[in-house]
Amino acid sequence: MIREYEEKDLQKKSIDELTHLFMDIINKQNLVLIEGIEDLINENHEQFEKKLNYVIETTTEVQVKKVFESKIFKSKLMFSKSDRLKLFNKINDIKNIGEFMANRMLVYRIIFPDKEFKLHVSSILASLKLISNNLAIAVNFIGTDLYKAHEICEEIKEGRRKMRKLEFQLIQRLYHYDMDYLSRTFLYLKDMVEDIMMLADHIKNFAEYIQFLTIKYLLFK
Amino acid sequence: MTDGVDQIIIIVLIILAIALAFSIGANDETLSALVGTGALKFKIALIIGGAAIGGGMILTSGGFVAKTVGSDILGQGLVYTTSMLLTVLISSILWLIVGSFAGIPLSSTHALIGSVVGVIITYAIFQGGVDPQTAFNWDKLGNVILSWFISPILGLLITYILFKILAKSYLTRLKGLNQIERSENYFKWILVLAVVFAEIWVGANSGEALGILYGLLDNGSIELEQYYLFAIFCGIFAFLGIYIAARYVIKNLASQMTDSRPSEGLIIQISSAIILMIATLLSVPISHSHVIVFCIIGINLAQKKEIDTKSLGRMAIYWVLTFPIAAVLAGLLYFGLMSIGFI
Repeated sequence: MIREYEEKDLQKKSIDELTHLFMDIINKQNLVLIEGIEDLINENHEQFEKKLNYVIETTTEVQVKKVFESKIFKSKLMFSKSDRLKLFNKINDIKNIGEFMANRMLVYRIIFPDKEFKLHVSSILASLKLISNNLAIAVNFIGTDLYKAHEICEEIKEGRRKMRKLEFQLIQRLYHYDMDYLSRTFLYLKDMVEDIMMLADHIKNFAEYIQFLTIKYLLFK
Repeated sequence: MTDGVDQIIIIVLIILAIALAFSIGANDETLSALVGTGALKFKIALIIGGAAIGGGMILTSGGFVAKTVGSDILGQGLVYTTSMLLTVLISSILWLIVGSFAGIPLSSTHALIGSVVGVIITYAIFQGGVDPQTAFNWDKLGNVILSWFISPILGLLITYILFKILAKSYLTRLKGLNQIERSENYFKWILVLAVVFAEIWVGANSGEALGILYGLLDNGSIELEQYYLFAIFCGIFAFLGIYIAARYVIKNLASQMTDSRPSEGLIIQISSAIILMIATLLSVPISHSHVIVFCIIGINLAQKKEIDTKSLGRMAIYWVLTFPIAAVLAGLLYFGLMSIGFI
């Protein structure tokens, strides 16, 4: 789904271009994860497993990461390189959370309790997709327009706020089903919702970090 | 005092003056701004900075600050005796050592001038060699003391204005991190020139070592050729001070400054260099560290950043106290030497 890169092509790229590429790759993987969960909702288990396994197994981003790390340590831009590295690591954390989620979700084949629950999860996933895409756009704007990046991060934070409301409603719904609260289904669904929250929280924290960079680097008129 | 003892004191004074030049280099942290940006390799930065401070010291040794400390500050017809110079040096070194152990940042310039004042007053009162009212060139002394208050404030104002101009005309127009990085990369190279310029004037304004030697020249203890030879030694030892001893301080400070932007460092260095240049050309010895601290405050004020007023207040008290304490210490020391018949 995501093309492999030649190392010599990567070496030609600047630190900023490598960051964009890395963000795009991770965002695509994130979208594959979200689509996988949507497949689970639609009970297309084959696609669900295929997509989540892809998230776990794909290593395209590792090449980019290696080249980035070798370049950043040689970089002479002392005043910004620690922030560039932190930015990159925060993108990498999205991958780690996605991989963790995928592994947890593949342990058991779940049957959703009802249509309402499915619709509710779908709506949260749509929001997650939106803030994930927005984050990728914000990261791409860091190099060229920090004002714009700041604005997009505000939208991400707003999106996350709305998601939180939906997530608590979903948890509430889950706790009110007539089911054994030690059952695999209950635990699985609870973990799934919490994992989605964890990913969304990371995206929100990332957006706040971008806003911190904006304040740090921009001299406001 | 016999001639033999006097000769020994002269040799000791020359050695101490050269050691003082070494300590001026060893305590200089101007290069940390440059090393922090990674513009030059560490050793190359030390060599360039050392050469600049040494060069500045040698090139201005013919007069300026050295002449003020070593001669002009005193009243008409009055010259230092070797024992006065020895007392001045011992007293200022003692006070600086006490300050270092107590963790108090002190100015060696203030300590030295304070010691001169203490010794000369004691000499005038207890040895009666001169009328206390004519013991000093009051205009010169007044200008020196006044410059200690004016120079930091001027440093703050120049930094503030320069930064505002740069920010308004250029820095606020930068929108993206790539653009900021590119422009800071250019500033980094201008900073190299600014630091070299600043180091030259740091060397030129460090009148402590050359002031002592000028005092010896003024009282006829050494010849003019010998003075210049020792001034060259001072320059070389200031270079060695940076290269051998200052590297640890510079490395340490530079590692804390990696986050600071070269454009800010550039403004600070240019401002402090301008102040030091003006003070040197006016033959007034000022404290480089005081100017730098106020330049940093200037840049923080220009960016509406918070100022640690508590630390600043504490520092200001030590700055003000250095002069009178050094004067009292030197006076007591001179009186003590007089009482035991050494003088």
